[in-house]
Amino acid sequence: MSRVEKAAEEVDVVTTGTFGAMCSSGAFVNFGHSDPPIRMTNIRLNNVEAYGGLAAVDTYIGATSLIDPPGKGYGGAHVIEDLVAGKKIHLQAWGPGTDCYVRKSIDTYIKLDDLNEAYLYNPRNMYQNYSVATNTSNRTLYTYMGKLMPHMKNATYSSAGELSPLVNDPHLDVIGMGTRIFLAGGEGYVAWQGTQFNTTPEEVNGVPVKGARTLAVMGDMKQMDAKYLRGLDITGYGISLAIGIGVPIPVLNEDVMRRCAISNDQIFAEMVDYSLPSDRKCMQRYSYAELRSGMVEYQGKKIRTSSMSSLSGARKVANQLKDWIEHGEFLLNEPALQLPRSGSVKPLLERGE
Amino acid sequence: MEKKFRIDFDESNVLESVTYTLVSEFNLKPNVLRADINGDGSGIMLLSIEGSKDDIINGMTHIREQGFGVKELKGHIFHDYERCWSCGACMSLCPTRSIYYEPDTMEVRLNTGTCIACGSCINACSVKAIQLEL
Repeated sequence: MSRVEKAAEEVDVVTTGTFGAMCSSGAFVNFGHSDPPIRMTNIRLNNVEAYGGLAAVDTYIGATSLIDPPGKGYGGAHVIEDLVAGKKIHLQAWGPGTDCYVRKSIDTYIKLDDLNEAYLYNPRNMYQNYSVATNTSNRTLYTYMGKLMPHMKNATYSSAGELSPLVNDPHLDVIGMGTRIFLAGGEGYVAWQGTQFNTTPEEVNGVPVKGARTLAVMGDMKQMDAKYLRGLDITGYGISLAIGIGVPIPVLNEDVMRRCAISNDQIFAEMVDYSLPSDRKCMQRYSYAELRSGMVEYQGKKIRTSSMSSLSGARKVANQLKDWIEHGEFLLNEPALQLPRSGSVKPLLERGE
Repeated sequence: MEKKFRIDFDESNVLESVTYTLVSEFNLKPNVLRADINGDGSGIMLLSIEGSKDDIINGMTHIREQGFGVKELKGHIFHDYERCWSCGACMSLCPTRSIYYEPDTMEVRLNTGTCIACGSCINACSVKAIQLEL
């Protein structure tokens, strides 16, 4: 019996986890109706703009939405973190005033408990692998991949590697729409394929070497824990939300086990130059074992590496999910729908009418 | 032993040498970590000083008597473990590798003893968990 066969017999579930910046995230919120009621078309939460194009007291607060005036290192992600932490949030809203919604403005304070519904719906989370960023130019760059020093002094990477959910089920054989997941300390679900879902990147050992598949996820904020939701202020880029997400992978057969057993030395990512505005070609591939060592070499030059996602956080997520499953507090389910087997990303073209 | 000091100078003593005095008169081994001078002649210098405990005390007392501001740097950098989410974005920016993973938990930790107060990590932190006070 091979080691994989033996492991497949003994292991029921592998829990995976990641805890990193996931910009395409946000929350749907229903405030409830005031007396007299208002149809809100212009909404601010702690001075951060929320969407005013839904029904009267529904909104969507996006993670990267900036405080007005900008520059205080605060945005939608912080509103979400503060809500989940149970803090009071300043709600200001304005509306046109109609026969059915006569009120034109409201200024009040809300807490998560006061809201009828509050749930995260994140259009693109859990990127399956991501490129490694470096900077060959002679000035420091401040990017969503962190601070990149001139002349390739450092390089940054973001995947949790061997612990990352979509690295362990690279072709989404097990994970699908409706899969129950750990979302920021609560129970969440895979809602759909993520935006920019891409199955075309080259694979090594069955895993894409750059950004590929993504997932849209959702979950009730009232179950969540603020320690798994952190508002980030990334210098020079803006606001993002770090989220702890864990996915259980049921070991249904040897093939699932073999893929889950992948380790950092078998997972690769491509280093690209962020000083180029576009068309960033692969400079070199590195394994996550090399990246994790803190130093990689490029053409004889030593480059220090930084992770942009929290490995300790990813481990806590995977361990928490394991603990829930072992205590019967989290049940695995079958997905309702398999996600696309193929998909590619189209560019945005500039055309005349 | 090794200690770090902040030396403050101004127009009246900006032309005088601190490090030469420490080397020649007190047998100390100073290393300039950082020096900033303003247009008005004032400024600061951060020194790492190696030598015996007595030599360091005598040397720095002398420098103080010469009219320089002398302040030992202890706790000049503060890493807030509660705020830090251990992403590690700061780690590759540290020239002295003072930021490291705690091996068991992979939580990010900062060795304040080897920090040379360059400040490179400060704006790399997404949650303002590192503060530098000189």
